[in-house]
Amino acid sequence: MNRFSVIWRKEVIDALRDKRSLMMLALFVFIYPLMMWGVLNTAIQKATKVDRETNEVVVIGASQAPTLMQQLKEQGVTVLERDDMDEAAITALLRERKQAAVIRIPSDFAEKYQALRPSPIELWSDSAADQQSKLKRIEQVLRSYGNSIAQARLLAHGVSPAVLAPVPVQEYDTATSASRSGKIVGAIFGIFFVATFYFCLNLAIDTTAGERERKSLEILLAQPVKPLELIVGKWLAGALLCAVGLSLELIVGHVVLTSMPLEEISLSWRLGLPSLLLLIAVSLPLCLFASAFEIALAMNSKSFKEAQTSVGFALMLPLIPAVVVPMLDLNTQSWMYAVPVLAEQTLMLELAKGNAVPVTAFLTTACVSLGLALLCVAFSSWKLKSEKFVLGV
Amino acid sequence: MIKVDNLQKAFGKVQALSGASFHANDGQIVGLLGPNGAGKTTALRILFGLLQRDQGSVSIDGVDPAVDPIAARKNMGILTDQVGLYERLSTREHLRYFGELHGMKRADIDSATTDVVELLAMQDIIERRATGFSQGQRLKVALARALLHRPRNLLLDEPTRGLDVMSTRALRRALQALRERGCCIIMATHVMQEVSHLCDDVIVIAKGKSVAQGSPAALCEQTGISNLEDAFVSLIGTEEGIAA
Repeated sequence: MNRFSVIWRKEVIDALRDKRSLMMLALFVFIYPLMMWGVLNTAIQKATKVDRETNEVVVIGASQAPTLMQQLKEQGVTVLERDDMDEAAITALLRERKQAAVIRIPSDFAEKYQALRPSPIELWSDSAADQQSKLKRIEQVLRSYGNSIAQARLLAHGVSPAVLAPVPVQEYDTATSASRSGKIVGAIFGIFFVATFYFCLNLAIDTTAGERERKSLEILLAQPVKPLELIVGKWLAGALLCAVGLSLELIVGHVVLTSMPLEEISLSWRLGLPSLLLLIAVSLPLCLFASAFEIALAMNSKSFKEAQTSVGFALMLPLIPAVVVPMLDLNTQSWMYAVPVLAEQTLMLELAKGNAVPVTAFLTTACVSLGLALLCVAFSSWKLKSEKFVLGV
Repeated sequence: MIKVDNLQKAFGKVQALSGASFHANDGQIVGLLGPNGAGKTTALRILFGLLQRDQGSVSIDGVDPAVDPIAARKNMGILTDQVGLYERLSTREHLRYFGELHGMKRADIDSATTDVVELLAMQDIIERRATGFSQGQRLKVALARALLHRPRNLLLDEPTRGLDVMSTRALRRALQALRERGCCIIMATHVMQEVSHLCDDVIVIAKGKSVAQGSPAALCEQTGISNLEDAFVSLIGTEEGIAA
């Protein structure tokens, strides 16, 4: 049996008997899928609520202006007809915030209209209520109603209605509830891979700084084992824990995401089983990197606590691109595949959208993580040989 | 067979070893005596290839640990001054782990485990995990893992510390048995009683230098003092130093 596999097996057994390692694993397998479910669920509910919501307006004296009522209905505004109300009653009604506005058509409206005199219409609204977009819609209807009357009257006098609208403005609103929540949701989607660094955290610290604290490192170094074999054994044990954790997390996430109506917020999870397995396979080098990175850091600490602090701080590093870049709302670019964590999450997002991902993206993702992992292992092994390190054990 | 000649080692400005020379033959128990900070631990660490010497030569059965530490360690059983155990592993698992690190086969490990368990009288803790072990029990596990691969050379740093009377006697018998088998044993210690009971030869180290080597009787003769402890104090010159 290889020396490194002896060490690997011992570290795996040791970690499986360590409650802290197992708790960490279980926690992070479920915590991100659950968090994602929470955020996405809120976003979906918000999105579907806006669509369902109707724009209602209370109209007093509706029978006097049937054309206006028709135009309101055409613009998707529901008209609720009421008998006359005084100011206090209108204020009370608006305070309930069920309707954005009250339109009061005075009883002499029809009379003045027939006589071609200015016929005022009252529009009551509560500017403190957050219903500006609905109010704007109603105001637009009223304006175009007035314009259409003016146009008809001008036409009767032989004047072109175009005189009234020398610069017609056409408004377009491209905002959807999905694009507004898209950035946050994208970041939440991506945080998935940050958990990789927590699956093996306990093992990486326990087998380096912990071993030093327990005073078992000196005797281990005095065995007929090369420093490289020692590090490789510990490294692969950590990577195994990561791989198991990440696979479980992705599977749990896959189950959660496929069960949600993501199309409501214009996201999608079009990952079949083959793509999911491919994604897990491509993420394995990230597991190798996470374990190697943490071992290289933790071995410099003299105690478990010290290592927890320093490694915990250093873990902000892979977190930054994973959280910041999705916030910037950039389009997918090839350099993203060269940044660990960001690369895996970009791949996942692309696969989730059902986009074709170039082979080079997979290769870059895997090779960069693997390369960094090997660098960390080389550093750790070199460090283990140094006299300064040996004196500290 | 261990031979050390003119060993020198400095850490920055501190000269930890400044010319230590000694030898230990097969079938001998050699005591390594010296006050705290004399350089015993540094010398032992150079012997098992953890530190590189600045000058001098070291030979363990003809192998230089600076050139081939792996080969040197294969024939060495080591007990360091710190007994580090894995709390979640049982004694048997400890022994299996270290046996495998020495490249032993599973069957060999099993028979060697039976041997050392009997030798050190540790049947009661063989299946227990290390959590909650007493100081003496921990030391026994550490000794067992040093002896498991039946090394020709043993480097033991204070092997009797923390042991009760029964265990000390068991250890003494074990070391005598190993001597009969032809092992070369170097034992750093502060207990003069152990030295006079066990050691065929004594090396005295002070301030990084070896100041004397010989049998306990020869050292007493050399200094003209009949008590070994007084002879040791006289050899390292501490009391004179304090007096001056």
